Amino acid sequence: MSEPLAAITPMNAFRYFIPAVLVLALSGCTTTVVNPAATAALGVLGSSADLHEKARACQELGVYGGAEAVPALAALLNHEHLADYARSGLEAIKDPSAGQALRQALGTVSGRQLSGVVNSLGVRREIAAVSDLQTLALDAKRGVAVEAVASLGLIGTTDAAKTLQSILASGPADVRTPAAHAAYTAASQLARDGHAAAARDLLQAAIRSLPPGHLATVAQAQMSALTPRP
Amino acid sequence: MKFTRRHFLQSTAVAFGMPTIIPAAVLGRNGAVAPSNRIVLAGIGIGPRGREDLKSFLSQPDVQFVAIADVQEARREVVRVMANRQYNNQDCVKTRDMYEVLGRADVDAVLIATGDRWHALASILAAKAGKDIYCEKPCSMTIRESQELADAINRYGRVFQAGTQRRNVDNFRFAAELARSGRLGKIHTVHAGILPLQESHKWLPAEPEPARDVVDWDRWLGPAPWRPYNKDYVQGRWRGYYDFHGGAALPEWGAHTVDLCQWAASADHTTPVEFEGEGQTIHGRYASGVKLVMRLAGFKGEGNWVVPGTCPVRFEGDEGWVEAADTGKIAVSSPSLLAAGAPKEMAGTDPSKHVRDFLDCVKSRAKPAANAEVTRRGHIISHAASIGWRLGRKVQFDPVTESFVNDKDANRMCSRARRAPWHV
Repeated sequence: MSEPLAAITPMNAFRYFIPAVLVLALSGCTTTVVNPAATAALGVLGSSADLHEKARACQELGVYGGAEAVPALAALLNHEHLADYARSGLEAIKDPSAGQALRQALGTVSGRQLSGVVNSLGVRREIAAVSDLQTLALDAKRGVAVEAVASLGLIGTTDAAKTLQSILASGPADVRTPAAHAAYTAASQLARDGHAAAARDLLQAAIRSLPPGHLATVAQAQMSALTPRP
Repeated sequence: MKFTRRHFLQSTAVAFGMPTIIPAAVLGRNGAVAPSNRIVLAGIGIGPRGREDLKSFLSQPDVQFVAIADVQEARREVVRVMANRQYNNQDCVKTRDMYEVLGRADVDAVLIATGDRWHALASILAAKAGKDIYCEKPCSMTIRESQELADAINRYGRVFQAGTQRRNVDNFRFAAELARSGRLGKIHTVHAGILPLQESHKWLPAEPEPARDVVDWDRWLGPAPWRPYNKDYVQGRWRGYYDFHGGAALPEWGAHTVDLCQWAASADHTTPVEFEGEGQTIHGRYASGVKLVMRLAGFKGEGNWVVPGTCPVRFEGDEGWVEAADTGKIAVSSPSLLAAGAPKEMAGTDPSKHVRDFLDCVKSRAKPAANAEVTRRGHIISHAASIGWRLGRKVQFDPVTESFVNDKDANRMCSRARRAPWHV
């Protein structure tokens, strides 16, 4: 069978018990039912366990953690090696607090960690983050315009689509191709959500902005698939 | 006028005063294919298995292999030498960065044979760049990646062939055809040979990272989570580690054998609706009632199989059964099933017919045998079965939504975060 959290054994369980209770108490989650595996993993994160143990704990929280795990994971979003592990936890926790923590991190992390947070907001389809992502998509200084555009594509709301349309029409040249890719993803999502007209507008914007070639052909094909046949 | 590679060659011949005595092979005589009609191929991450694929590609007269991208210098040099020896020139370009290959307008198709962690993402990036793709298996690390991959291939209109070559190996094809044609009666059980299920979360001891031009560890990891460098990983011993090997190793052979079972059961359009583990065996059940048994096989003849060899499959109907494996052999319940003539024995690992199928489809734009849609479902089944095994209980699966039914824990195992900055 799959290995359980390597750090937790009957011999050392007590080592993690006190930190776990403290973490839960501080996050106000002592009255909710918490999965024992999540409790153990939180204990690891609150302890002096090594990098490997903490990485594994983040992954466990991605399966068994809930709102109680969000503060501990969010605290790692700026960590050089654990940030991606923390995101693996936060991406999977359905509780809205996980999305909120990722949004808050947009203002505190930078570089690769910021790219990761932006990507996770897209994977979660965090609609509340659309306006933050719109700003990042147009802010060359933060260095995550491409990731922000991709995440807007994954979120794929009509609001997100408007930003993509605007970038396709008059955005920075180096973001237009990523915006076209994002537009295709968003158009699929819009069509699934019953917004076929918005999907067509978006694809039309891509067609107008692209030179003839592979990407324009993709937009045309997607447009044809969306157009009702007589 | 549409500008093609042929026009480019024609115009440059005039512009640069190419020699007037042109070898017949260049013009496409004597059975050779003119360069302008060749499929221009590049490689991404070509190790030992990838080189087997590459040999098959290089032997095709209508392929011109022009570039190799690999994060390991030793590997890219081996491939460069292979290609240059084949063409008796020094033209093959080597690079550390796959984007250099994907950015080349003259490259029509790519052979992707990295480790599993990169397969889906590299294929998606290639599709975005307008390349057709032959990708080694397993093609995905998770259920979500299986979906993203197939969606991208469909969206970008690319030809995709998974390296599940047994769909084009004669004894497996014969066995599947017996099942599909009704000659075994109504199919009730299909068996897929799998390797032992395993999942290690260990990290090997840290070693000093080599120079980036020797081994680019950061790029080797790609979308997989960070861990300290150890040469074992880059020398091919990454299998069995959760972060690098999806589906608890079930897709390692399941990518082939589950896929063949899907085909034999005429179930390429769907998946089982439940999975239940029993030790190292996982029982799946389709809505039709057909059973999918994923059970132990191995390199040393493990498991109770009639035909020797790796990657065995067995298809059972109410009027007979057939079994096939990588030795090229077939066993049947009645000699009459072989009346149509058993195929010539061909090793299950031989990709030559599969490669040819891919190249033909690159030209015709038809779907090859192991196209993105059949790959999607075959891989999703392997991942879903492994999730049930990890949870140690029965799980219900919805083939339409491709998600677990009322099972929060299982659904949370359907995807993994990609290491920044990688995204689709």
